[in-house]
Amino acid sequence: MFTYFFSNQRNNQERFSKTMAIDTRVLKRMKESWGEVKKKRWAYIFISPFYILFAIFSMYPIIFSIYLSFTKWKGMGPKVFVGLANYRRLFGDPIFWQSIRNGVIIFFLYVPIMTFLALVLAVILNAKFVRFFRIFRTMLFVPYVTTMIAVGYVFRIMMNTKYGLFNMVLTSIGISPVPWLDNVWWARVSISLLIMWAWLGYNMVIMLAGLQTIPKDLVEAATIDGANPAQAFFRITVPLMRPIILFSVILSTIGSFGLFNEVYTLTTVGDVPGGPMYATITPLVYIYQQAFRNYNFSYASAVSCIYFVIIFVLTLLQLRYFGREY
Amino acid sequence: MKKSLLLILVLILSISMVAVFSEVAPAEEAPLPSGKLVIWSWAPNELWLDASLDGFKEEYPDIEWEHVSYGTGDVYVNLPLALTAGKGAPDICLIENSHLSSIVEMGGLLDITEKIQPYIDNLATYKLKECRKDEKYYAVPWDGSPVAMYYRRDVFEKAGLPTDPESVEELVSTWDKYYEVAKTIKEETGLYMQACTKANNNGRLLEMLLWERGLGYIDDEGKVSINSPEVVETLEFIGKMTSEGLYSDEVDWTDGWYAEFKSLDKPVASYIEASWMSGIFKSWLAPETSGLWGIVHMPAYEEGGVRASADGGSSLIITEQCQNPEAAWALIEYALLRDQSVINCFVAGDYTPSLVTSYDSDVFKVKDPFYAGQVIGTMFNDIMLNIPKANIYTAEYAEMSSLTVPEIAKYLTGKQSAQEALDNAAAAIRAATGRK
Repeated sequence: MFTYFFSNQRNNQERFSKTMAIDTRVLKRMKESWGEVKKKRWAYIFISPFYILFAIFSMYPIIFSIYLSFTKWKGMGPKVFVGLANYRRLFGDPIFWQSIRNGVIIFFLYVPIMTFLALVLAVILNAKFVRFFRIFRTMLFVPYVTTMIAVGYVFRIMMNTKYGLFNMVLTSIGISPVPWLDNVWWARVSISLLIMWAWLGYNMVIMLAGLQTIPKDLVEAATIDGANPAQAFFRITVPLMRPIILFSVILSTIGSFGLFNEVYTLTTVGDVPGGPMYATITPLVYIYQQAFRNYNFSYASAVSCIYFVIIFVLTLLQLRYFGREY
Repeated sequence: MKKSLLLILVLILSISMVAVFSEVAPAEEAPLPSGKLVIWSWAPNELWLDASLDGFKEEYPDIEWEHVSYGTGDVYVNLPLALTAGKGAPDICLIENSHLSSIVEMGGLLDITEKIQPYIDNLATYKLKECRKDEKYYAVPWDGSPVAMYYRRDVFEKAGLPTDPESVEELVSTWDKYYEVAKTIKEETGLYMQACTKANNNGRLLEMLLWERGLGYIDDEGKVSINSPEVVETLEFIGKMTSEGLYSDEVDWTDGWYAEFKSLDKPVASYIEASWMSGIFKSWLAPETSGLWGIVHMPAYEEGGVRASADGGSSLIITEQCQNPEAAWALIEYALLRDQSVINCFVAGDYTPSLVTSYDSDVFKVKDPFYAGQVIGTMFNDIMLNIPKANIYTAEYAEMSSLTVPEIAKYLTGKQSAQEALDNAAAAIRAATGRK
């Protein structure tokens, strides 16, 4: 029995010293990195406030949200673990898929036109023969600075079918009134118009900045060689502006799925947002409705996780196929 | 020896002093509750609450209160957040009965069963349903919301119909007769019976009609019943009215909708809504139409049937975070459970009380000039006593309503049949709430 005890001890000792050796190597490496950190500790101290706040207000809620999506919780009381039940419900949820569809529809309704217009306006304003270009640039940019909530409500009043300004103008020139907010497709157009009004200036300014990076000689050389402005635009400017256009389109993609203020102010009637008949609801609005109207915090968390995945994939795809330099 | 003797003497003396003085102290009396209370509500309810608290200071001089007024609907975002966070909640909060069940379900409200027990029989039965969970009470009902039919006497006159309330009462005694009246008015004057928008319908008219029939989103066993044959029939009636052009297409609470009430030459002929609409008509919506309106009971489903329904109305709750529950109860008891207080509230803001013992007061028998001298207080009180029990305001009302409303809109805009609409709504509610 003694021998058994002793040999066990020796085995354990060997194992122990081996583990100790490995641990020592790891420890040594850790000590080295810590030494590095200590050397540059002031740099780390200065950047730490951001990371601490980020950890508390971004990382923790994200992790908590992911955890919540596997539970059933209505705000108070215990959180009951339900596994994938929320996700199963989500995949069969017609309103969620309608919100994704709406995001795609609204994207195609305003992004092509707005990006093209922004680029064209930027090129026009960039040309030296436009006088007072700064005034035009400011006028186009000012809508971006306004508060979407206020603008949304004003547009809503102006788009009233019977008494709104838009229809009054249309009827005065002989066009029959348009059901801006009472019809499924017109409501989507109304949202698109609102976004275009607010964001055209912003995108134009981004394009303007991008245009500054294109050497003037390129376009000049092309014009000397006989290219007309349209050819110069499409063959030289647009390809060189590709990273900027890509940036604008990616932002618009994320934006069109994440519309909130516009939908809440323009197309919400009573307690049901994203009308009429959920024609304009977006995933973000649906998440808010589930969390703060129906108090289904766990379901809302599941929706937001899937929403994140969808946007992430869309952005990756865009970067991969349209941003080959990246 | 001397010292210890002195000590014993002092001891005996002090004990006897205490005995003497405790005899002189006054008899045991519960002190009046005191403290500072925070009340959350939305405009203009703080005014009517203060009107209800007229004289409160004399009885409870040490209780003070402070109103925090939120935008309409913001209370339902802020209160649950405060309740779940465990702090920041008010002592008392005003909650509409449509939202009350879900907040009671959430938790964090003070159990007031024992305190409210003596008053249960004095309160309108239908309003207590949302205040109650598993035989325990968590809220006290405030304003009732009896539904009636407001009508424009001038429109009825233009259409060649009688205009006095007794005749009109008979004229629209059933929904079929109401439909005929609407057609007559449309033919004779070209005006609509009322507004009921199609694409942006908010479902409240259907809910009022369902409540009148004792139907609801769920049945008494908790099973989803929104697609039962009677509900389909009710929805189809509304569909008939809209598709035949008898209802106008104005969206609630927009300029066009307001214009239909305000207008002196092209108004709607009637409007089915609760008593709180009266205060809104009088104060800002259509004060210039004073004297042109009358009120009758809403039509019934069959001759002699129930002619009462409900839409809205609020209650007061005390949160568990309240440091001063005795003071909070004293305030609520004074303002909501005493006849004179609810009468003061009616006089100030036209709020129909839920406290039925107050209905004897002469205040309700006043002839109202806005309704061409008709007495409307007693009519609304009578409706209050006849409101049937219905499962409209459930613990998941917000979710059920938001799933049903778009289906109703799709039906009214002709995209699907009423049966399909309600079947879809029922399926969605079952998926969302887990009910059968």
